[in-house]
Amino acid sequence: MSLIEATGLGKSYGSTRAVDGLSFTVRPGSVTGFLGPNGSGKSTTMRLMLGLDHGEGRTTFDGRRFTELEHPMRHVGALLEAKPFHPTRRARDHLRMLAAANGISRDRVDEVLALVGLEAVAGGRPRKFSLGMGQRLGIAAALLGDPHTLLLDEPSNGLDPQGITWLRTLLKHLAGEGRSVFVSSHLLQEMAVLADELVVIGRGRLVANGAVADFLAASGLGTVELTSPDLAIMAPVLEERGGTIIGTGESVTVTGLDAATVGDVAHELGARLHQLVTRQASLEEAFLSATGDDEEFRGITE
Amino acid sequence: MIDALRYEIVRLRTIRSTYWLIGIALALQLAISTLIAWAIPSSGPQSGGDRSFALLATIGGAAGFPLFIAYVLGLLGVFSMGHEYRHGMIRATLTALRSRVAVLAAKTIVTTVVSAAVAFTCALLALVIALPFGIEMPTIGGFREVTLGMVIYTALFALSGMAFAAIMRNQTAAVALILLLPSVIEEVAKGVFVIIRAVSDEPVDQGGMAAVLKFLPYDAGSQMYTQFSIDDLLEVFGVTSFGAVGGGLVMGGFVAILLAASTALFLKRDA
Repeated sequence: MSLIEATGLGKSYGSTRAVDGLSFTVRPGSVTGFLGPNGSGKSTTMRLMLGLDHGEGRTTFDGRRFTELEHPMRHVGALLEAKPFHPTRRARDHLRMLAAANGISRDRVDEVLALVGLEAVAGGRPRKFSLGMGQRLGIAAALLGDPHTLLLDEPSNGLDPQGITWLRTLLKHLAGEGRSVFVSSHLLQEMAVLADELVVIGRGRLVANGAVADFLAASGLGTVELTSPDLAIMAPVLEERGGTIIGTGESVTVTGLDAATVGDVAHELGARLHQLVTRQASLEEAFLSATGDDEEFRGITE
Repeated sequence: MIDALRYEIVRLRTIRSTYWLIGIALALQLAISTLIAWAIPSSGPQSGGDRSFALLATIGGAAGFPLFIAYVLGLLGVFSMGHEYRHGMIRATLTALRSRVAVLAAKTIVTTVVSAAVAFTCALLALVIALPFGIEMPTIGGFREVTLGMVIYTALFALSGMAFAAIMRNQTAAVALILLLPSVIEEVAKGVFVIIRAVSDEPVDQGGMAAVLKFLPYDAGSQMYTQFSIDDLLEVFGVTSFGAVGGGLVMGGFVAILLAASTALFLKRDA
């Protein structure tokens, strides 16, 4: 079990404030997604957490900083680079080297190679590896010390759909064992099915930290699908209570009100309801709404 | 610290460049020593055992040529830090080892031991090569003096390569520097000095450039194994060298400064 507590993280590059007073918590037993637009400071934050970059604030893993952990890979497994290995050092040797620094057995090296599906190429040189194979080797390195905490920066980069599914299952399983899994990704659909909690940042500042459901609800982007033959009498009252009705006829979409309020209005007016369904905002909609102004790099569409 | 040493030893053992650099050093030693040994008996009766051994062991370095194995093993030093940056290994290294000081210390120790061991092996190889050619064996003192000089010089050379790579965080630039600084830049400095002094009114003045020139670190360090050299001509123009011990201290001081700077930067910079 490992609670990650990041407090007041900050980092500047010249006049650019990359990370600004960032504080959040990652709880054990959950997958916490780390979201933010490109250039929002996700990778910098992860490096600050591990003491790789110098900056402000502190991050503790069960109360201890990374630099205070003896045999750190046994406590925190990290994947920070797309291909963090020498291209001509054999995959197995790469892991043996890391294992040697952390008192990890050679058997464990073979275990993690099997776990990530690289047994067949364990004696191969990574320069011939695809991006996905490289990611698997990086994930193997992160898992090498059987750590209770995982920090993974875009681990699904380069993985094929089967690989992404495998990774999702693996991370959920690891979190289910009580580990803390902190994972950044730009694949919002993937994060929507993977993450239990979210840390969302924009321009280096915290936008949200909490359960995914709370983040979606807080976005205010949820809608209510309403079907009623008595819509004509309901519509003015719904609008009076702050709702906006989209569409015409008996089936419409109501925004700005939740299903309970719409149901109460129907009850008060004696209106018949044939359908009342809450449609939650997608993670993508909520994310774009929360970070829309924080996009660092913006292209043009025409 | 032990963990960092284990990491560094496995790092060095599991990479091909280690083997081909050591292989090149030994092959160069074997080939050039053999050629020199073949030439020595016909070069006259002046070749005493110590002198012959010095020539063989340093493959001409004792006569003022560059000590080739130092250049080869200098690359070993460059790669020990250069690979960390060139291949993005530095973050993996620093998430496996929590202490940056231990990482650098382990690299320093392993680079020193390996380069010194290979240099010592080269000296032994020179002895073996001398036998079939009937070349007189060196005295123990002569063997010790030359071997110690080339071992220390090679180890310092390799450490300077490691320090350059750590300071510049660019393997290619560090390779260029370790190859060019001793063989070109210092030689150009000496050449310019000789030309200036040759046309000077006071060609044997020991001040000015002559005082500075003896602090060229690699040139000074080479006095640890050089016994007779064309550089002796510099003495004509007022350059009084430090000798083996003084020259070793100059080079050692230079490398110590480089290592101190690289350590300070390594601790201060982001990974």
